[in-house]
Amino acid sequence: MPLDVAPVVRSYETQRTLNPPGIPALAPMPTGETDDTRRICEQFGEDIVAAGLHNGNQVVLVEPGQLKALATFLRDEPDLKYETLIDVTSVDRSRLPLDGEARFQTVYQFRSYSRNQHLTVIADCGTDPGDNGEIPHIDSLTGVYRGAEWPEREVYDLMGIRFDGHPDLRRILMPKNWPNHPLQKQAPLGGEEVPFTFTWDDPEFETLGSQILPAESTVPDLPPGMSRQNMVINMGPHHPSTHGVLRLVVEMDGERIVSIDPDLGFLHSGFEKTGENKRYKDFVYYTDRMDYLSAMSNNLGYCLTIEHMLGLEIPERAQVIRVIMAEMQRIASHLFWLATHVLDVSGTGMSLLMYATRERERILDLFEMACGARLTVSYIRIGGVWQDLPDAFVSELKDFLRVMPQKISEYEAMVTEAPLWQERLTGIGHISGDDALSMGLTGPMLRGSGIDWDLRRDRPYSGYEAYEFEVPTSDSGDCYGRFKIRLEEMRQSVRILEQAVDNLPSGLYKSNNRKVALPPRAELDVSMEALIHHFKLMTEGFHVAPGYFYHGIENSKGELGFFVYSDGSAKPYRLHVHGPSFNNLYAIDHISRGEMLSDVVTNIGSIDIVLGEVDR
Amino acid sequence: MGLEEKVPEGILTTSLDSVINWGRANSTWPLLFGLACCAMEMIATGTARHDIARYGSELFRASPRQADLMIVSGRVSNKMAPVIKRIYDQMLAPKWVIAMGICASAGGPFNNYAIIQGVDKIIPVDVYVPGCPPRPESLLYAMDLLRAKQRSESVGEWRKVEEPLAVDEIMPLGA
Repeated sequence: MPLDVAPVVRSYETQRTLNPPGIPALAPMPTGETDDTRRICEQFGEDIVAAGLHNGNQVVLVEPGQLKALATFLRDEPDLKYETLIDVTSVDRSRLPLDGEARFQTVYQFRSYSRNQHLTVIADCGTDPGDNGEIPHIDSLTGVYRGAEWPEREVYDLMGIRFDGHPDLRRILMPKNWPNHPLQKQAPLGGEEVPFTFTWDDPEFETLGSQILPAESTVPDLPPGMSRQNMVINMGPHHPSTHGVLRLVVEMDGERIVSIDPDLGFLHSGFEKTGENKRYKDFVYYTDRMDYLSAMSNNLGYCLTIEHMLGLEIPERAQVIRVIMAEMQRIASHLFWLATHVLDVSGTGMSLLMYATRERERILDLFEMACGARLTVSYIRIGGVWQDLPDAFVSELKDFLRVMPQKISEYEAMVTEAPLWQERLTGIGHISGDDALSMGLTGPMLRGSGIDWDLRRDRPYSGYEAYEFEVPTSDSGDCYGRFKIRLEEMRQSVRILEQAVDNLPSGLYKSNNRKVALPPRAELDVSMEALIHHFKLMTEGFHVAPGYFYHGIENSKGELGFFVYSDGSAKPYRLHVHGPSFNNLYAIDHISRGEMLSDVVTNIGSIDIVLGEVDR
Repeated sequence: MGLEEKVPEGILTTSLDSVINWGRANSTWPLLFGLACCAMEMIATGTARHDIARYGSELFRASPRQADLMIVSGRVSNKMAPVIKRIYDQMLAPKWVIAMGICASAGGPFNNYAIIQGVDKIIPVDVYVPGCPPRPESLLYAMDLLRAKQRSESVGEWRKVEEPLAVDEIMPLGA
């Protein structure tokens, strides 16, 4: 029996909640209206179930039959111009009081870069009778936005919603013969019970230290659309330049690439399902482990989403500390990208790996100073940050900022003008601005194709509007353009850091709303009330009002978004993560066609993927 | 006493075990193979500050045939498990495994459908390193423990592990 069949899954609940009556509850309908929702209502009339604002986001609920027409209208209508489909996700509402409403909903996030607008579209899924119960299905948007292909495959894989008209509806993350769709609510969380007794008679220990799972390899299938007439080369999942466990099936005609089929999911860790079984505050620690090169940004993205749903005000000092941490993390992530990119492309460029990690270690030292951890920091918490900066932090950071610009110039002197480096990058991995928009690419991939967009500047959060910085773009659309952008982003991050550290206000480092943020440890010794708040937060957590919210931040790799659906309890009912690497990696097939196998390595490095976030 | 009295000055004698183990323990080449967060710390261990070269292990080999040590650096998913097993099988004996971090050791925070609760369910592990992720210093300490183990092994033991396959097992007749 090969291993990629599900192991025995025991029903296992981490904790029971003590929910007040009225929980769970459905999310309320959107209220009010905006210019865009009015325009959509005029066009579609009765087919719009509801439209308006919800948690500050524009939301439209549409009849499933009109979804495709609506998406086409959103893209083509000159008044709307929603060029990009950022994210597709879904909600299984079977544990909510439905009253005959549809069980599955799909949720789409549209973005207009030219008009700086964000729109959430929600559609109920129809059902078809199937062998094992009813199969939900809905129209695919792949014909309208190319970038819908992978997110829809992900929804199909994890939630079991069939997309009619999808060109290639296969599982994307789970093994192909996995027995269920794990995000459906009746699918168990799985895992193993932790043995708390330690007696050697326990059957738990019968297999301790011996091989119990056969883990047999199976012959992989030829991906659809590939021809055996050409040479099919397998790259990964164990390959030094795939930045983790990515498998690429490359079809080649002679020296040239015909197509690439990435095989994902070798690091699928069930983040979303786990998140639905943890209290809000406990998921912060998991976000570190998603994009493990930018843990601080992940913390920030998640915390901002939940804080917005709670309507929580963050003290000014905490905001600035967060910006400092997020920008330091951006530099650290870009340094690591630079080191590995040069190593991959040149094959022997160990010196830049040593140099860049030298500066990265200094950043990790600063993180360690602030929170004790180097990589998985969990420093930014809901309500602020975990603890105040230590006294020596600011002077250390200033010291670092003093040397960093000249170090960036040093790296540039090593590679930017080097003829070999230019030859390997210029014109390689070209993507046009229109394609980048249609594929839903974000971050340096988008800016490298001439789209001037940065969430920090255009939809500011955490007080980014107070900082002066430039957003580098490039019209070349190739690996060299993206390389220059990332180097410039490091310089701009240094600039933001200099401003932040000079204007670091004094005051609270986390919200003093005791219903959400823990009281300081010293208070527990003197205040009974603080003790009660501490106990209540640690045992039950806090409740979030029913509703949903999508929030994106500018991560080092692109737009990192969190979509949270709350049913009013202390745990998220549905938690979806939009990882930038996932959408950006979709472009690998498009940008590598017609190039050589060695250019695939350049392209992977240029996309800057982290598999923990691609597979989640 | 014994042989030493008979050989000229400047020649030392030792046992085969200790001289081979001395070599093995001081040039254990790890497999260039990262899984998740711990891989970042593994790379940090390999770079200048922590400098794994002091242990003779700086040569991370991409081919399992050339590697002696597999550092399982991260969580092992159900989809990845057969791959890891296969890579381990491709490594030539003597070979050792370090389970780096709590995920590789016991599943860690990912007690769910996707993750195998400890890589020791598919391959034997020599040293477990706690931490999420372990610091580079922890990994270096694990290498120390592994070296102690390597030094105490007998050369003959490893020869017993891998019994050569019969010819018809390698190339079945009629194939």
